[in-house]
Amino acid sequence: MDPKMLIFLIPAAALAAGILIGTLKAGHHSHHHGMFGHKHGEATVSIDMYAFQSALYSLNPMFKTIYAITLLMLSVCMNNLYVSVLILLLSTFIIVVLGKLPFSRFLNLMTIPFVFLIVGTIVILLDFSWEPAAGALGSVHLFNFYINVTKTGLTTTVLLWGKCLGAISAMYMMSLTTPSGELFTVLERMHVPSLIIELMNMMYRFIFTMMDTQSRMKNAAESRLGYKDYRTSIKSFGSTASNLLVVSFKKANAYYDALESRGYDGRMHFLQEEKKAPGRERVLAVLSVVYLFAVFFVLR
Amino acid sequence: MTKKEGRWMSVSIAAAVYFMFGQNALAMHIMEGYLPAGYCIFWGALCIPFLVYGFIKIRRIVSENRRSITLLAMAGAFIFVISSLKIPSVTGSCSHMTGTGLGAILFGAFPVSILGIIVLLFQAILLAHGGLTTLGANTFSMAIAGPFVSYGLYVLGKKLKWNQKVNVFVACSVGDLFTYCVTAFQLALAYPSETGGVAASMVKFLGVFAPTQLPLAVIEGLLSVVIVIALESYATPELKSIGFLSDTPVKGESVNE
Repeated sequence: MDPKMLIFLIPAAALAAGILIGTLKAGHHSHHHGMFGHKHGEATVSIDMYAFQSALYSLNPMFKTIYAITLLMLSVCMNNLYVSVLILLLSTFIIVVLGKLPFSRFLNLMTIPFVFLIVGTIVILLDFSWEPAAGALGSVHLFNFYINVTKTGLTTTVLLWGKCLGAISAMYMMSLTTPSGELFTVLERMHVPSLIIELMNMMYRFIFTMMDTQSRMKNAAESRLGYKDYRTSIKSFGSTASNLLVVSFKKANAYYDALESRGYDGRMHFLQEEKKAPGRERVLAVLSVVYLFAVFFVLR
Repeated sequence: MTKKEGRWMSVSIAAAVYFMFGQNALAMHIMEGYLPAGYCIFWGALCIPFLVYGFIKIRRIVSENRRSITLLAMAGAFIFVISSLKIPSVTGSCSHMTGTGLGAILFGAFPVSILGIIVLLFQAILLAHGGLTTLGANTFSMAIAGPFVSYGLYVLGKKLKWNQKVNVFVACSVGDLFTYCVTAFQLALAYPSETGGVAASMVKFLGVFAPTQLPLAVIEGLLSVVIVIALESYATPELKSIGFLSDTPVKGESVNE
């Protein structure tokens, strides 16, 4: 084993201890499973809902976003497996131990991009050629071509797994602790045009009402033999979707009237909770980034 | 092959089939962290002119008629919702529409580029499909390349007086296929094959996503036809009454008269 791997020892141990303590503590409280029932589109609600429930919800959104994006950039730009794995451990620690998201839920969320990662790296790992590649670690002769696994392919694959997992966990650190509404405010402060912010705020709200309408329409269609076979499914899906658009367009007018009657002048104002980023958190964030830089320069 | 080997073989084939066919078709979103930094910037930069023009267009629509902002938002939410719904699929897998091709036909290609990037951002934040670093690449393939091809084909078909159903079907499914090819190209460009370069790598990426993307293109086309036909028969007044639909080819007369 590479002695450089030892740098993971302490972070991994801290993470494991944190998860263990968290799980034991949570064991005393009631179990949460089954609280939402199963319906499609649940995923949409869940990440945002976890953000509201997170223990880090009360931290300043700008601070959280900048920190998460910094880690994300470091994972993508540094191209360093050690840095990326450290980012994965660090973000998991922040989300699960500090943010108090149950570890099993976090694992579930981490599997969402797995299919792409598996398919996307198999393609890189396996190289096809007409002649056996020189210096391949392994090579299989199939019909009239060869499937090779080369050392560079393997290195790229391993690095890519680290980078992607580091990046996705850093992104989760932002989305699992900061509700979307606050992210829009962050974008606004980054000078994204207000028309776009306005559209985002409205779209975000309409998504939920639309999904609700859609699921009721689907129930209605199903209770009338709507999705009984494949042909009908296509038809039912299509008419549900088109009806959804018609109904929503009709609602859109009413929504505008409602907005206008409350004095809408092209900008919606939301109550923003005043949230602070305490000095301790800032110092820790800066220290962690400095540490990652140090790891990058030492273990290149 | 011994019995044990046979069992392992069948397990591995089942796993392969699961990953190939059982994969969520949203898997075509390039995931967070997958592209090297240079490519993230490159594809993002390529999107900028389209997005700027899209923004100008949307701003014009809104300044002409203030009410259209809720409609635009509804249109964007609609694209998000139909792309997040499970659609009926033959293989029993969980597939989703892209929705942007249909959006381009209904709302025009430039506004859809802006709505598309917002939808992709939501998908990255709320669903963890796609990512922030790969937002540029995903926007180019799904909110720009695909919709523009769909829109172009649709306008062309109208000019050539194709049958409405055929026209929508061709526009949406070819747009979908184009998105799939562009994504494969983006992936191949970032990770060229050691022996065959970008071309060989592209063939590999096309191949590995073909089992989900090819049937999906057909289903997307079929569904879009059903949706457009239903819209034109039930919602012509709505579509006409909204100022912001007036510059798109959907006017309803062609089918109803």
